[in-house]
Amino acid sequence: MILTIFTAVIVVSLIGAALAGVLVISEHYLNDYGRCRIMINDERELDIEGGRDLLSLLASEKIFIPSACGGRSTCGLCKLKVLEGAGPLLPTEEPFLDETERQSNVRLACQVKVRGDLKIEIPKELFAIREYTCKCTEITDLTYDIKLFRFELIEPKTIDYIPGQYVQLQAPAYKKSSEEVYRAYSIASDPAEKNLIDLIIRLVPGGICTTYCFEYLKVGDEVKMNGPYGEFRLSETDAPIVFIAGGSGMAPIKCMLHQMKNTQNKRKATYFFGANQPRDLFLLDLMKEFEKQLPDFHFVPVLSEPNGAGHLEYEKGLVTDAVRRNLKNATKSEAYLCGSPGMIEAAIKVLLELGMSEEKTFYDKFE
Amino acid sequence: MKESPQNKKLETVLKSSKLVAGGFMGYDTRSVSEIIDSDTNELSRFGLTSEQVAGRMQQITDIAKSGLETWVRIDDNLQAKTDEARGFLPCPWPHSGRFVKRITILRRVNTSDTIRWSDLNIHLIDEHGFFQGKGSSFRIEPKKLIEMIF
Repeated sequence: MILTIFTAVIVVSLIGAALAGVLVISEHYLNDYGRCRIMINDERELDIEGGRDLLSLLASEKIFIPSACGGRSTCGLCKLKVLEGAGPLLPTEEPFLDETERQSNVRLACQVKVRGDLKIEIPKELFAIREYTCKCTEITDLTYDIKLFRFELIEPKTIDYIPGQYVQLQAPAYKKSSEEVYRAYSIASDPAEKNLIDLIIRLVPGGICTTYCFEYLKVGDEVKMNGPYGEFRLSETDAPIVFIAGGSGMAPIKCMLHQMKNTQNKRKATYFFGANQPRDLFLLDLMKEFEKQLPDFHFVPVLSEPNGAGHLEYEKGLVTDAVRRNLKNATKSEAYLCGSPGMIEAAIKVLLELGMSEEKTFYDKFE
Repeated sequence: MKESPQNKKLETVLKSSKLVAGGFMGYDTRSVSEIIDSDTNELSRFGLTSEQVAGRMQQITDIAKSGLETWVRIDDNLQAKTDEARGFLPCPWPHSGRFVKRITILRRVNTSDTIRWSDLNIHLIDEHGFFQGKGSSFRIEPKKLIEMIF
């Protein structure tokens, strides 16, 4: 009896294993899409092995499309035009594409599987994006939940970017994440130091990349990042500038201030930095330096909880309250904002009330 | 009770760290259904449903948002603030929907007790009755939550 049961178990297991083997082998052949050609902008042709998503295939050819979620269809950033060969739009893409984009064959590169020849269109500036191998050389606590990470470029050794742009930092697989992910962070460095990238990062509880940076990344570790990306940048006018950004939103503003100092930019500029308490403020010495080095720059920290005496030099209330108090008329000014959609919307509302036209508001929204 | 294939697939997603560091299940060895049942029972001891709890959480988040990441008074003894990060999180359940990475922190003024939740937390509780596994970053103990928000 026992022998019969044992034999039956063995036979069933063998049949199962054989079927699994057939599945693996057939999958290998059925999913073999062979070589595929991707024609880019009618100018450049890639000859690659099919079967993977377009985003990662392009990345393997060193063509980096912006993506903040690492190809999980949650950020909607990796948009490009696929003119031929993409197949039908997937439900995972629909929430990210408006009617005009659908009519223009815009797709999410992470959701388009390359099964045959494709014809695509991507902005030319993306060809300038590179992958950088860097070494973390410094980690500085700025507040209890914000750190400044300094990276020295190893290969390529230098980077050119426009202040306001961002890079995508790769968090490798680690104990709390089984696979590598990319996250977007604005460059905070002095653009004159072409071999360095500074990132100001706030810890997001449960965040895959920020947890890696705060708990696992050590000075001396090598990481990869790619970039630069983004359209957020200073205009080339003489209009007075209103900067509004709190927390890690300081990163692109700091970079722009370095640039203004380096180019001896004489524009009047006021930076409103909103926070809760004095402990949320950081880089105050650097801001004071900028006040000395730039001809007409003022840093205005705004605290909702100034905690009584000793901090009389700070504005009180919401950052938008301080903007309203200090900026009686914004008709001739331009605004540069970085932060949450809620903060940016509230700030734009106030600026429009103060006479600024909407096309003079430039922002890097956290989305 | 035997888990359905759909639930097994869901558990794989919840245990993985694809969406949040460490996943949604933490060190909890119970199945998703067991966690949901247990937390639903806990809510019913207070005479509440997951929809009512999520509704109050959303109400607090909406008030807190007006503070532009600074503390806002909710009532005599509660303050709340929101923090936002770049990007979105999708619901791990197999349906469309994505949520901004917004965290609401609720603080009791006299004791400094705090509790926090994300926009995704609100959805998970509202739609799926899921408070997450014990040990996960955003596990919320129903009892503590109810005592804080009601």
